[in-house]
Parts: sequence; C-alpha cells; structure tokens
Amino acid sequence: MKTIFIILATFTKPENIGINPQSMLWLLPLTVAIAVVYKATKLPKIKAGNFIKESILLFGSIVVFMAITAFILYIFAWFTIG
Amino acid sequence: MARRHFKDNHIPFLLFVGLSSWFVPGGGYFVLNEKKRAAIVFITITITFCIGLYIGSIGVIDPLGSMPWYVAQTMNTPVVVILGQITKGGAYPVYGKPNEIGQIYTSISGLLNLLCIVNSVYTAYLRKIEPAGI
Repeated sequence: MKTIFIILATFTKPENIGINPQSMLWLLPLTVAIAVVYKATKLPKIKAGNFIKESILLFGSIVVFMAITAFILYIFAWFTIG
Repeated sequence: MARRHFKDNHIPFLLFVGLSSWFVPGGGYFVLNEKKRAAIVFITITITFCIGLYIGSIGVIDPLGSMPWYVAQTMNTPVVVILGQITKGGAYPVYGKPNEIGQIYTSISGLLNLLCIVNSVYTAYLRKIEPAGI
C-alpha cells in the first residue's frame, strides 16, 4: 500500500527539465506513440512483423520530415536575422 | 424507410462502442473483438498519458488556466475530469518546460484516443451495414 502511495506521489511534483537542445529529444517518444496508434487504426489486420515495420516507417518519415523542416527554418532564420 | 430503421436500431450500439473507447482507451476495439488492436491502443495511449503526468505532474490538467489543452486531455478518459476538479484550486503548480511537455503529451494522447473513438465507431458502423449488403 505504501509503495502505491509513493508511486502516486511522483505524479504530484513536476520533473526538472532544463531549456536546452537536448529537451527536444522528448518529441521522440511522442512520435513513437503517434506512429503506433495511427498504424493500429489504419492496418486492416494486425500482424506483429508488418505492424512493427509500418510503425517504424511512419516514425522515420515523421522524424525526417521534422528534421528537414527544422533545417529549412534554421536557414531562413539565418538569412533573415543573421 | 427500412434502411433508416435498420440504422436507427444500431445507434445505441455505436454509442456503446464510442463510450467504451472513451472510458478505457481501446475499449471500443475490445467490444468489436479486435483484441490485439485494443491492447496496442490501450498500452500506447496510457503510457503516453502517464509520461505527460509524470513529467508535468497532475498540475498540467488545468481546466481554468488552459481550457483548450484541457478539452484535448478529457478525450483520454473521464478520469481527467475528476483530476481537473482536484487541480482546479491551484494546489499543484507547474511552470515552464515541464508544463509544456506535460501538456503536449497528455493532449496528444487525448487526441489519439479521439482518433480511436471515431475509428472504432466507424468500424462498428461498417460491420453493421455490411451484412445487409448496403
């Protein structure tokens, strides 16, 4: 019982996350969740191999697209702001 | 007329599937006997939601200060409404990056569950009209 309360207590105080480039990595688990749930709704039949392959492909596509977008925005900012 | 009557009879079932999905993520798929799909959706959405709460604490559920995020969060499960009543008084303050990441995680998991609610209801609808040959 005590253990349950200790676990629940961890949800009442925020974690200490700094504002640094590494904090951007928090988008990766979220992207995995989006890819997995989206593929779970779209695939007509769920088979482990195919499902994992499709999810990884979608995850990779999202990450690559975001990286390209970030790079373009960085170049744009570099040209306009300096 | 007969077709309309057929659909009307299944509205309670569609409602049941939608509510099951809302009460427990993946519940709608479970009702439709799609157990693998239900398990994947349940595990993924629950973990995403819990990560959000762990990072930002239950303070990220803020029905007064951030209404749009709260609406997305309530799509996870009705339990969010209860948590919203607990945090309404401002006893769990959270600011900055943890608040931001917590809100994004919990809201995105809510919107993913909304996708699953709509998809499970649509799947149930298709299953009901397919045997009739429509």
